[in-house]
Amino acid sequence: MRYTLAAGGLAVFLALILLVTGLLEMFYYIPTPEQAATSIQTLTFLVPYGGLVRNLHYWSAQFLIIVSIVHLMRVILTGAYAPPRRLNYLLGMGLLVLAILLDFTGYVLRWDEGIRWALVTGTNLVKSIPLVGSALYTILVGGTQPGPATLIRFYGWHIFGLTLAAGILTAWHIFRLRRDGGIAVPPPPLREDQTRITRFELVRRELLAMLLAATGLLLLSTFAPAPLAASMTASAPASGTARAPWFFLWVQQMLKLGNPFVWGVVVPLAVLMLFSLIPYILPKPAKSELGRWFPKSNRLAQVVALLIMLSIVTLTLLAILPAS
Amino acid sequence: MRRYFLLAASFSLLLSLLTAAWQESLRPKPIALTPPLTGQVEYCLTCHSDLPQISNSHPVQTFGCVVCHGGERLALNANLAHSTMRGGKNPSDFSVVQASCGGANCHSGTAESYSNHIQRATTSIQATYAGAIASIRYTFGVQADLKARLGIFAIQVPQSTSGITALEAFDPAQETNPFVQAFGQTCLTCHLSALPLPGSVYIRFTGCSACHTPTQSPDRTSTEQVQSNNIHKLTTSIAYTQCDSCHNRGNYDLRNMTFELRQDLPADRLHDFYQPIAQFTSCEWKLDCVDCHTRTEAMGDGNLYSTKKDIQYIQCKTCHGTLTDLPQTRTLTDPNDLAFRLALLNPVVDLKLGDTILVTEKGEPLWNTLALPDGTYQLVGKVTRQVFLFKPVRGSGCTQNGVDQSSAYCHTCHSVER
Repeated sequence: MRYTLAAGGLAVFLALILLVTGLLEMFYYIPTPEQAATSIQTLTFLVPYGGLVRNLHYWSAQFLIIVSIVHLMRVILTGAYAPPRRLNYLLGMGLLVLAILLDFTGYVLRWDEGIRWALVTGTNLVKSIPLVGSALYTILVGGTQPGPATLIRFYGWHIFGLTLAAGILTAWHIFRLRRDGGIAVPPPPLREDQTRITRFELVRRELLAMLLAATGLLLLSTFAPAPLAASMTASAPASGTARAPWFFLWVQQMLKLGNPFVWGVVVPLAVLMLFSLIPYILPKPAKSELGRWFPKSNRLAQVVALLIMLSIVTLTLLAILPAS
Repeated sequence: MRRYFLLAASFSLLLSLLTAAWQESLRPKPIALTPPLTGQVEYCLTCHSDLPQISNSHPVQTFGCVVCHGGERLALNANLAHSTMRGGKNPSDFSVVQASCGGANCHSGTAESYSNHIQRATTSIQATYAGAIASIRYTFGVQADLKARLGIFAIQVPQSTSGITALEAFDPAQETNPFVQAFGQTCLTCHLSALPLPGSVYIRFTGCSACHTPTQSPDRTSTEQVQSNNIHKLTTSIAYTQCDSCHNRGNYDLRNMTFELRQDLPADRLHDFYQPIAQFTSCEWKLDCVDCHTRTEAMGDGNLYSTKKDIQYIQCKTCHGTLTDLPQTRTLTDPNDLAFRLALLNPVVDLKLGDTILVTEKGEPLWNTLALPDGTYQLVGKVTRQVFLFKPVRGSGCTQNGVDQSSAYCHTCHSVER
């Protein structure tokens, strides 16, 4: 655990919590503009333990993104993406994108005043793409402006499309992990210590991480409720916070720089591309150095990843600070 | 040693589960109400069950809270629940009154014109302040006559029969005369949309509640004065003290364009009701303002006016008559007479079919009066419930000329010594 941070295992654990709490939420959530926000209020305030279930879903989703990024950084900073794990690295990148999309669609499902700005800005970004933008927008939003069709589409993506894709990719990701020989370590001839940790020890460590994570999640969900705002009304001015969900704050901050297509679409996609190409274009980690933090052989990849992460964190902080 | 990590982690999970269950048990038990007027369940009473019912005309079991106040009806979190309330604590503020109190079943656009209170109140000079604005602009030469052109807010009344069908919004920044500018900055505190002056004697709400929510104790000599801005009540039993939160509060000083507040308040009513030099009759300090002044005078008749004199018309003779004429009366033969409706809202008298009451020159019922068989009259205080008996002028020793009705003439003989 000292080596993997148990981030991958925790991501699976969080995904399972999300699946269960999400299924429970589906018994109460009504995906229509008139009733979405009120059905969430019903769930939160009136259903026994409904608030707890929703808070668990919310916090698990936030931590899934954090844990996924930690997992990604661990893989890069330990060179664990070395061949033959390059495909699995791409699967992981896909899972991160799916987690972010699931988070954003779930956020929009609140359909209250708190999400109006992000919904309008986010969907308008799609429109800014040359040539295909307006067609993509129509597919995404289901009309010329957000409305009932948008909500049902986001709902469909959230509970079915994205969840199904995430489920398949997760299974494939874990299958590849087994096929590629479990957690990345040097091949047997290069190992100093030939013993591997026992199956029992692995389970014990993962179980410990899950127990601690569950404790933290429960306490957080008990005392820090997930955000909620008043129902969205067509007539009301955009009184809600003009702020993206936290994982898109860095994009929001870049949007202040000008051209929405460049800063809102091209740059984030470029960051994604760059991360995805790390195993293919940057110097490969040496097999002998696997299973260790900061191997010399892939220094460049470490520097690139850390610089990008630092930029994203800085932009996020810049977006938060003026408001506080 | 490391073996116990798992045990400790399991124990901590158990503890956090118990904490979650404990917190869940602390949540208040939701109190649901589905008022027939909205048909939608609301949970406001979970926290607000201790609030007194606002009035008999608005029973909470029928109205609920949301139909007037707005708010998030399902939220049991105070911030969220209150985030969309109309007008904060006061949904009757004129900025939101149409949404809160309006509607064909309520106080606007009704079939019975006497129920269109919102249209009347928002066009009344207490709301537009058009008279004060016009007279100041006229005084300082900005406009050529006293006709109202500007109001606190822009308003159109195409059907107005007063000759004024629209007012533009008064914007002090657009004025060039420094006195009118100063008036705009310092003197716009006494209209129905203005926040009250600081000080307990000025406490009132805005909009309908400025008058109909009794923030002032009905009895100034009472030691337990209400004087609160946290009161849940609507009434047509409006004490003079409520009127006094704006009226009789001091003097305008046009040189400095300031309002000189009276320093001699509060005291007993005989001494504080009017300015020290003013003369007044017994009626004017023993009765409440609303005992004589009608709903139309206070809330307007739906037309736009330039001055109080255009709408205020009650005189001494309305109740007392003149040397030649008795006051006008009406015998109640129609069970739907407005008098019954008004008496129901403030049941200080028990009106019956066949009763004869006084009516004003415009035919408004003075529903708290009664013509007695012996040729005298009775008035019951709408606030005090005190019974006053009085005689007509005709047949008395009064030597007044019947057309001289301004108060100065009656005060000559009938003023009260202080």
